[in-house]
Amino acid sequence: MQLDFKARELTIKLVYYGPALSGKTTNLQAIHQLVSPGVAGRLMTLETKDDRTLFFDLLPLTLTAGSGLQVRVKLFTVPGQVIHKSTRRLVLQGADGVAFIADSQRSETKANAQSFTDLRKNLKDNGLDAAAMPLVIQFNKRDLPDIRSDEEIDALATRGKEPVYKAIAIRGVGVLETLVGLMRITWARLEASHQLADKFGVEGEPLLAELRRHLGMEGAPGAVR
Amino acid sequence: MSGGLADLTLADVTRLEDIVDKGALTEVCRSFFDLFSLPIRVFSNDGALLADVHETREICRYVNTLSEGRRACSTRVTEVKALAPRGGAVEHPCFTGAVYRVVPIAYQGRMLGRFVVGPYFPAETREVPRSLLVLDPALDREAARSALAEMPRVREETAERIADHLTRILDLIIFSGHRAFLTSEMHVASVRESFRELTEKNEQLQEAFDKLQELDRLKSNFLATVSHELRTPLTSIIGYSDMLATGIAGELNEEQAEFVETIRGKGDHLLALISSLLDLGKLEQGKLRVKREPMNVELLVAEVAKTLAPLAQKRDVSIRVEVDGGLPDISADAVRIRQVLYNLTENAVKFSPDGDAVTLGARLVELEADDDDDMGFVLMAGTRSAVELSVSDRGPGIPTDEQERVFDAFYQVDGSSTREHGGTGLGLSIVKRLVEAHGGSVWVESVVGEGATFRFTIPEADDA
Repeated sequence: MQLDFKARELTIKLVYYGPALSGKTTNLQAIHQLVSPGVAGRLMTLETKDDRTLFFDLLPLTLTAGSGLQVRVKLFTVPGQVIHKSTRRLVLQGADGVAFIADSQRSETKANAQSFTDLRKNLKDNGLDAAAMPLVIQFNKRDLPDIRSDEEIDALATRGKEPVYKAIAIRGVGVLETLVGLMRITWARLEASHQLADKFGVEGEPLLAELRRHLGMEGAPGAVR
Repeated sequence: MSGGLADLTLADVTRLEDIVDKGALTEVCRSFFDLFSLPIRVFSNDGALLADVHETREICRYVNTLSEGRRACSTRVTEVKALAPRGGAVEHPCFTGAVYRVVPIAYQGRMLGRFVVGPYFPAETREVPRSLLVLDPALDREAARSALAEMPRVREETAERIADHLTRILDLIIFSGHRAFLTSEMHVASVRESFRELTEKNEQLQEAFDKLQELDRLKSNFLATVSHELRTPLTSIIGYSDMLATGIAGELNEEQAEFVETIRGKGDHLLALISSLLDLGKLEQGKLRVKREPMNVELLVAEVAKTLAPLAQKRDVSIRVEVDGGLPDISADAVRIRQVLYNLTENAVKFSPDGDAVTLGARLVELEADDDDDMGFVLMAGTRSAVELSVSDRGPGIPTDEQERVFDAFYQVDGSSTREHGGTGLGLSIVKRLVEAHGGSVWVESVVGEGATFRFTIPEADDA
């Protein structure tokens, strides 16, 4: 998080993590399409080759919270391929929250786990407390055959401590819920450590309401139930 | 590690001049000017002029010839420069009836600067404004009117569209600049990160290597010290048992003589073992110097055969010599090579059945390139030769899977063979190291039950 008291600006960094081809960039593309114009900047993609991210994607969102504070939310993706380990660590630096995009296909279960181990290691290497990092998990590609079943994921989700979302990012399904969910727990963490309500008079709920409004959540496709 | 990296990905464009090239900006403005005849100036957030494309208008030139006009014009220009609209474009009128359009330049919700289009004359305005007419008592109305007529006339709507178009182009330029900036920063950061990782790994490797080297040194030192310390008392034991055996301290009965002889024999064996250990230690430390000089192979073989003849005779084993004629001299340390051939021959005699024969051979061979060093094979093939010496016996032989291990220190094919045949278990390991110190190699060919042939090569010395 970056705070600029003079400009009354708060910048929050959210990182979309996950194995290669799990749909991190697709999440950002969907958000970019669904968010009201003026709130999102251009979706910036750094260095791609054959549709694979090499450095990162960046989608900036600008919200105005109560009492005139500008909240800039920067959404990043990391390159999923194993070889880009140091790039992932670089992008992860200073992250305020992480959305882990998992591939629902059964065959990818191991890749998900490996990528998550990599995430924990990179958080640790960056001096971030992995256990305290606001984290949501999205099971993407719910429309594909041979995926882990809803029952299986729900059963695991009740035992895990992170919020779990299901999504079909390519159709925009579940993407906004994931973002709002991540934003909610990230804000709660920032509020707890920085007392934003006291300092800026910004409360989490109105900010989330503004985010939801700009995301057009009323008209958006709902989460997969 | 790199505290600046969080800032890196969060880095925002805060100064227009950091991200756009002034020259390129001026070019864009000029192309607008060429197309629409509209003057354009671009200012950064703190008011610095980044691009300026305009031609002085006739009316401006005329107004500036009047003292009141000059003052009023200067005031207007200052006002326009000070305008920093945030919400959207604003229009600022000039007393001549012309207008300036000031448009904010924002990127990702942040103000970076503004551009000013104009002055231009709104097409909708038909009259010469009163503000111009009352400006200065010396004003010539006709001159002012004809000067104004030259002013570019633009409809409000068109001006708005032109400004909008320029805004989009600038936005694209800033976006591309920002992306290029982030990309290059990421490149640099990635390289730095890889370098850091590699440096860390190198340090770890170096540390491990140093530790191993130190351990190796300690081991060799230990070996040398222990061997030396053991040898001193042992010399006394052998010396005194020698004296006892010669009867200096009084006549020994048969049993006593036999016991003393056993003490002496075991003492000799122990001394040989310790000497071998010492040799091995020196070889491992690389302290053993190989003094190379030309030596005749035929003489070497004959000498070793002669030296071992008494030992062989005891077992009724004959030593045959088969040396090819016309062998070149080899360049070797005479003492060490003699030790090698002696060790191998002594072994062969020991393992030969009673009444059998041991054969010592020597022949010229061509050196083949190593598997992992076949560079320039075409050039190198057949250019190097070596003398191969061999020692054959018809003893029990060595199983295939043991043939490499016999050269390890303290390894013996059959644990009982030391007891049966004597030896320290160090001989072959010393042989191997000595041969290798000469740049040669040693190996064994054997079929169990039919005997064994040990061969080693000593390469011909380079002409240089």
